[in-house]
Amino acid sequence: MIGEEKIIALNNATIGYKAKTHSVNVVKAGISVYALKGELVALIGGNGVGKSTLLRTIAGFQPSMGGDVLIRGKQVNAYREKELALIMSFVSTEIIRVPNLSVFDLVSLGRYPHTNWFGKLLDEDRDIVEEAIKSVGLKGYENRMVNYISDGERQKAMIARTLAQNTDVIVLDEPTAFLDLSNKYEIVHILHELASEKGKTILFSTHDLTTAIAESDRMWVMLNESVEQGSPEDLILNGDFASLFHSEHLFFDQEKGDFRIKKLTKRKAIVAGKGIAVDWTVKALERNGFEIIDSESAGDVIVIIDVAYPEWTVMHQEQTAKFDSLLSVCRYLNRM
Amino acid sequence: MAETVINKNNNNRAFRILLLLSLLVPLFFLADLLVGSYYISIPEILKAIFRSENADAQIVLIINQFRIPKAFTAILAGAALSVAGLQMQTVFRNPLAGPYILGVSSGASLGVALLVLGTGGLLGGGIVSAVSSWGIVAAAWIGSGLVLLVIVMISARIKDIMTILILGILISSAISSVVNILQYFSNESTLKSFVVWTMGSLGSVTNIQLSVLFPSVLIGIMIAFFSSKFLDAFLLGENYARSMGMNVRFARLMVFLSTCILAGSITAFCGPIGFIGIAVPHIARMLLQTAKHRLLVPGTILIGALMMLVSDIISQLPGSESTLPVNSVTALLGIPIVIWIIIRNKNSGMI
Repeated sequence: MIGEEKIIALNNATIGYKAKTHSVNVVKAGISVYALKGELVALIGGNGVGKSTLLRTIAGFQPSMGGDVLIRGKQVNAYREKELALIMSFVSTEIIRVPNLSVFDLVSLGRYPHTNWFGKLLDEDRDIVEEAIKSVGLKGYENRMVNYISDGERQKAMIARTLAQNTDVIVLDEPTAFLDLSNKYEIVHILHELASEKGKTILFSTHDLTTAIAESDRMWVMLNESVEQGSPEDLILNGDFASLFHSEHLFFDQEKGDFRIKKLTKRKAIVAGKGIAVDWTVKALERNGFEIIDSESAGDVIVIIDVAYPEWTVMHQEQTAKFDSLLSVCRYLNRM
Repeated sequence: MAETVINKNNNNRAFRILLLLSLLVPLFFLADLLVGSYYISIPEILKAIFRSENADAQIVLIINQFRIPKAFTAILAGAALSVAGLQMQTVFRNPLAGPYILGVSSGASLGVALLVLGTGGLLGGGIVSAVSSWGIVAAAWIGSGLVLLVIVMISARIKDIMTILILGILISSAISSVVNILQYFSNESTLKSFVVWTMGSLGSVTNIQLSVLFPSVLIGIMIAFFSSKFLDAFLLGENYARSMGMNVRFARLMVFLSTCILAGSITAFCGPIGFIGIAVPHIARMLLQTAKHRLLVPGTILIGALMMLVSDIISQLPGSESTLPVNSVTALLGIPIVIWIIIRNKNSGMI
């Protein structure tokens, strides 16, 4: 939208490291992307493409090697630490292991830029910490030690800490990296709610396309040559995802919005029957290298499978065999 | 809110333990005055302290010139080394860091060795005056500061706790070798004054030296206490600390300044005392059940003081006339705790 303030904006930015002698080790140049207020932005890209370097540059941990990296219109490196800490908070990939640190104390560290030199929490600070803990669903965990809670709970506590810091921008480097599937969904969903309800601008990197497509408002896609941005749906339609991991073993399924492994289909099969069991039979056959066709043509059909759950009838070259599970169907087909 | 109440109860528990510890310290201080090669009863001790004009002059002399300075030095040494260890463990995020194990103490001895052996004539037969005491302390600060700098540079490149530990031990051995070589090349009279220093113990600290040691330790501890908020932020690592608004460079400078002053001053006057700095912070965390440094700093001060007083009492071998070197006692007390830390952390995957 034109005229709306860009909370995070990169204009022709170059990210990288200073090498030993005056030269610069450029990770990626010419990055021009932005994020608006209240947006959940997912940063995706292959391993080693520079996602962490980009996030670290935006968080101000390392200087940009050229171009603009602007937070609320000001170069990130022009902020003083304390100023920046009131605008932007950060969560890294690293698992925090601190003995005897309670969830409450971890989250209250977020009040750092707001408290006095001694870090004394006022009643107001305590209320904010309580509220932050509640909004990530960790109520009742206040006095649990962070070393004795699950990875998912610890990650929620780290997010609660950024809420206690009360910043407009939150940057997270792979917040779902070590989590199981349900925790992945939950964390990304919490981020989505924080962005839409509290108007925060949240930028996170991830390898998990499905959750990112489902929940993020904007995506930054780091390709080998460039960084593209758009809504997940736009990026699927214009084919940017397809070029994300161009590999001979993978292809991007535009309908399902996910990558699939390319299979060499050598054999053909017809699947007959009704219901959800048919869909899963098709999946099992595809995995085992079958192309599913609708009707017999040119006489090359080898296998016909009739699904009458919980029974499968496999017809093949005048032979008929019955099975009570897809596992035994697959074993039978592979032995043929 | 209910949770806040629980949180406050947790703090109250910590405060109660701190109170208990601060009552135990004077008790053990008194116990430390009791032991020694010459038996003096409690009433005589109290009389010597509070009504010295009526007391036996010889007992007053023993108490005032020997036992009180020694017990007081024990408190200072225990507190200083423990707070130095706590700060190192937090900033390096390494449960096995400590001034002795990472070579900060031996850096201090190198500083002192260079001063004593290099200016043997200047110092004469011993280390007596306040001026030369300040010189010794300053040399120790610089020595420990240089080693700390090397460790900072190493830990910027290497993250593995055990590797840093091994490198620290190597640095420590290398420095000891340098000190040995210095001794080899120095003349007899300067060598003698240095050897006297290396055998240094709590009991060799004179009242004049205490007038240097006490303000040094006080300043070091004050800096540590004022750095509590920095130290809390360091728990999550430097990047998190910066993202929460900490001026990392200033905070690190403060913490290292305090560590050098504390570890350097004690090493300068008492010689190297090991395993207090590494063990006491763990006892404090375990007792207080917290990671907050505004509780841990006072906690390590009190536990460190207690542990050093106990070590001193044990080293007097109550009932016998001989004494043990105090650093052997602290090693025997501290090493089991360090082994326990390693086993526990290995199990929970923290090393």
